[in-house]
Amino acid sequence: MINCISSLASTTGALDAERTRLAVIAQNIANANTTRGVDGHAYRRQQVVFDTVLQHARNPNGGQESSSVPRVSRVVDDPRVGSAIYQPGHKDADAKGMVLLPNVDLYTEQADMIVASRAYEANVAVFKNGRSMAMQALSIGKR
Amino acid sequence: MIDALFNQPGYLGAKRMLDASVARHDAIASNIANAEMPHYRRVDLAPSFRTELQNAIAGKDVARLNSLRPQVIPDARALATNLDGNTVDLEHELIEMSQNTLENTIQTRFVSGALAKIRLAITGKS
Repeated sequence: MINCISSLASTTGALDAERTRLAVIAQNIANANTTRGVDGHAYRRQQVVFDTVLQHARNPNGGQESSSVPRVSRVVDDPRVGSAIYQPGHKDADAKGMVLLPNVDLYTEQADMIVASRAYEANVAVFKNGRSMAMQALSIGKR
Repeated sequence: MIDALFNQPGYLGAKRMLDASVARHDAIASNIANAEMPHYRRVDLAPSFRTELQNAIAGKDVARLNSLRPQVIPDARALATNLDGNTVDLEHELIEMSQNTLENTIQTRFVSGALAKIRLAITGKS
């Protein structure tokens, strides 16, 4: 395949990673009040862990070129314990009448969501600029 | 003989600057992609490349212009603004990217202009 737009690997990786992060945030917000998840316990906040892989490619000048491609390596549980409220009639209340709530903080999630979408937008801008540079290169020598 | 047409220092210089702007876009793309990666150090064109290119253009050194290749290295001057050791500043990168894209436009125009002049000389029509 012809590599018209340079640096696509790292930009694609970043877009992918940020979108996964947004999906995880969406899941956290959606489950902010879930007191009984699939495992029978209160929902636990999920976190993405980013890491970088080096991708090697041959550049047009004959040399080796490596780009750092970000990705989501895994999604982990947030180990912190959520708060509990006293609500004896609740279906998920324990013997003392306490209901354990998910450890999701809506404000943190919303702030994270803004950061993730800004990062996504920045990477889209990179792609657009790369594309316009490729289009200009194609028009060299045209009248 | 035809080589002489394409070995003018101005044209070669514009070509190298075009290479440099593409390499710089790669570097900025990598920086923005890794803007939130802990311990990532921002990369940029080697400062020595810029001075060497300027010297080669000023000295009309065709051989040097032909062999010069842009190099991307970690930016030693960038400082981490927070505790995760990442030295990327997103706004700074976005501004640099816009500027770099503009520079690329100027260079493509220049190369096109140089080719148009040669065409004019050959055909007598622009």
